[in-house]
Amino acid sequence: MTYQFYGINILIVEDNQPMLDITKSILLTFGVGRVITARNGETGFKEFCNYNPDLVIADWMMTPMDGITLTRLIRTDKRSPNQFCPVILMTGFSERRRVIQARDAGVTEFLVKPFNARDMYRRITQVIERPRQFVKSDEFFGPDRRRKNTDSYSGPMRRESDISGQRESYELDIDITPHKKDS
Amino acid sequence: MNQFNRPVLRKAEFIKPPNILKAKVGSGGLGDDILNKAEKLLAENTVDFQPLGEMYLDSLARGIQEARENIRGDDQEPIIAGMLYPGMQLKGNGGMFHYPLVTTIADTLIQYLEVIERVDEEVLEIVQGYHTTLRAVVMGRIKGDGGEHGRELHRALLEACERYFSKHPDNKQASA
Repeated sequence: MTYQFYGINILIVEDNQPMLDITKSILLTFGVGRVITARNGETGFKEFCNYNPDLVIADWMMTPMDGITLTRLIRTDKRSPNQFCPVILMTGFSERRRVIQARDAGVTEFLVKPFNARDMYRRITQVIERPRQFVKSDEFFGPDRRRKNTDSYSGPMRRESDISGQRESYELDIDITPHKKDS
Repeated sequence: MNQFNRPVLRKAEFIKPPNILKAKVGSGGLGDDILNKAEKLLAENTVDFQPLGEMYLDSLARGIQEARENIRGDDQEPIIAGMLYPGMQLKGNGGMFHYPLVTTIADTLIQYLEVIERVDEEVLEIVQGYHTTLRAVVMGRIKGDGGEHGRELHRALLEACERYFSKHPDNKQASA
């Protein structure tokens, strides 16, 4: 049994045509049924509203609208057909404060360029297997910026929820590991 | 008042949306054959990075020029961003299209620009040094890591940044 990607559609928003082409080719090789493309956040949001994709992969730096603003629209605009849609942000930035800035806009995962096919696959797998719960407050709406971690703790169980099997701990999940060509 | 009787400062609602993607794709992941095929596709891409690289280098040159013209400007953030963003594009795209040395060099340029507080003549000299080196790599079509010569060029730029911060420790953001 393997993932069956033919039934999903993914929107790629990227202003750099070679990068857009290569990202699309990777996704088609993975078996994704439909890949929709747009060249900036503005047209990206229109396509998002038209196709209601299962996943958005967007570049950060684009004009006239960047990937961060696009993410905010997906999360908060009344026209958005799915405010919970996972968004993977592609960028050359890997500094922690940039990752936090992206998370604060509602980005689900962060993919640091340059990346290889397995890096992209890992990010998509995270979205599928470890989805984030959403937080709604006066100041923020988006994926929980701490990821629920249920299996890495090996210490004593003292909480009531431990006994009922609902143990939860959290980590700030920021994967900014430098890309390795051979990984 | 302590942490046990303090009023709630911010109310937050937690929502667990349905995992539509999981329901559609099922389980089991992708096999190595598919992932290797995707890696091969990426490794064998024939995109010519030079025109793209030149575009980002021109943008970096404009950023340096604008910074020079506004060196005493109060709002330093857009001045630094004008050099930082093309640097980020060079870092992100070089390695995607067989120019890992561009990525390595541009990465340290970003790290440098991310932490400086203000632009001065010495900062611009260093950024200009990065531009000249990156231009030589792109125009010389130096693919791969550039060997010992590539490492030397990179080391020289890093040392220039280190020398700058030894001389001007006050021009480094406190959180960096």
